[in-house]
Amino acid sequence: MSRLQRLVLLLGLLSLAGCATTTPTNIAGGGTQLETRQIQTREYDTLDKAMTMRSVIATLQDLGFTIDQADAELGTITATRLDQYTMRMTVTVVQKEGERISVRANARIGENAVTDAETYQDFFVVLDKAMFLTLQKVD
Amino acid sequence: MNRAAYSLLLAAILCGCATPEVPKSALRLPESTLDIRSIQTRTLEASSETVILAATIAVLQDMEFNIDRIEKPLGVITASKVSDADDKNQKTGLILLDVLCAMGGGGGCDASSTAKDDQHITLTMVVLPNRAKAGEYKVRITIQRVIYDKMNRILVLERIDTAETYQTIFDNLRKSLFIQEGNT
Repeated sequence: MSRLQRLVLLLGLLSLAGCATTTPTNIAGGGTQLETRQIQTREYDTLDKAMTMRSVIATLQDLGFTIDQADAELGTITATRLDQYTMRMTVTVVQKEGERISVRANARIGENAVTDAETYQDFFVVLDKAMFLTLQKVD
Repeated sequence: MNRAAYSLLLAAILCGCATPEVPKSALRLPESTLDIRSIQTRTLEASSETVILAATIAVLQDMEFNIDRIEKPLGVITASKVSDADDKNQKTGLILLDVLCAMGGGGGCDASSTAKDDQHITLTMVVLPNRAKAGEYKVRITIQRVIYDKMNRILVLERIDTAETYQTIFDNLRKSLFIQEGNT
């Protein structure tokens, strides 16, 4: 075995060994709780929880999702998009104090949680428009 | 150790432990949004939201779907069905199977005639009342499917965008609505 072959073998084994993951992280998820919540949450000035949920559903449909389940009482919507890969989203709508409603979204693509702020920002840009239209009609 | 094994190890070094990245446009509206929305949406008139939901359930049953969930306060119905992809009307999956086979260099790619592939179809229908006009509702249907090969591996994940499919469902829904209104 040449020196080069040994080097390749060593580096190869090292790179494979570096891929090990631990189970607890996969259960509790990564990232800090507060940071994750901030990225995934937006608040709206409205009292109408039902119309907020309908706006979320319309947004998800525009983004190509089908709704797996929705619960008006708990304010939870789960949706799936099949498009080369499987993306699942859960959106929770909660009535807050002071006539505000909080919308929290979290997404997964396959086995991976979506953690980047930009992707959630994109979602809320679409939801903002849907909310605006909905609130206009209500007023 | 042969050359192929070294190549594999070298590839492992170069690739590292990369995890699939989130596609940059994952939650951005595509340019085709308005077209797809109009294909999937119709405005219907009915005496109540319940009548539309009941008429839809009847149509879904006509199309051999199972109703998975209904959330009446939000006007959401989710339904699904598993059907044989080797259907005269649904050849896409099997044609793709043959293409994959040919790409793999295999001989005798006649899956279209022999394979018994399944497709899992999910459908969501959402009714949105028009607050500006009583008795008018926007109904939007979205359909997706997963096609499996006979080894239960996923072949295709896709949203159904063909206008004819939605047109047929809405035609049936209008008829069902007419019958439903007559019964109430």
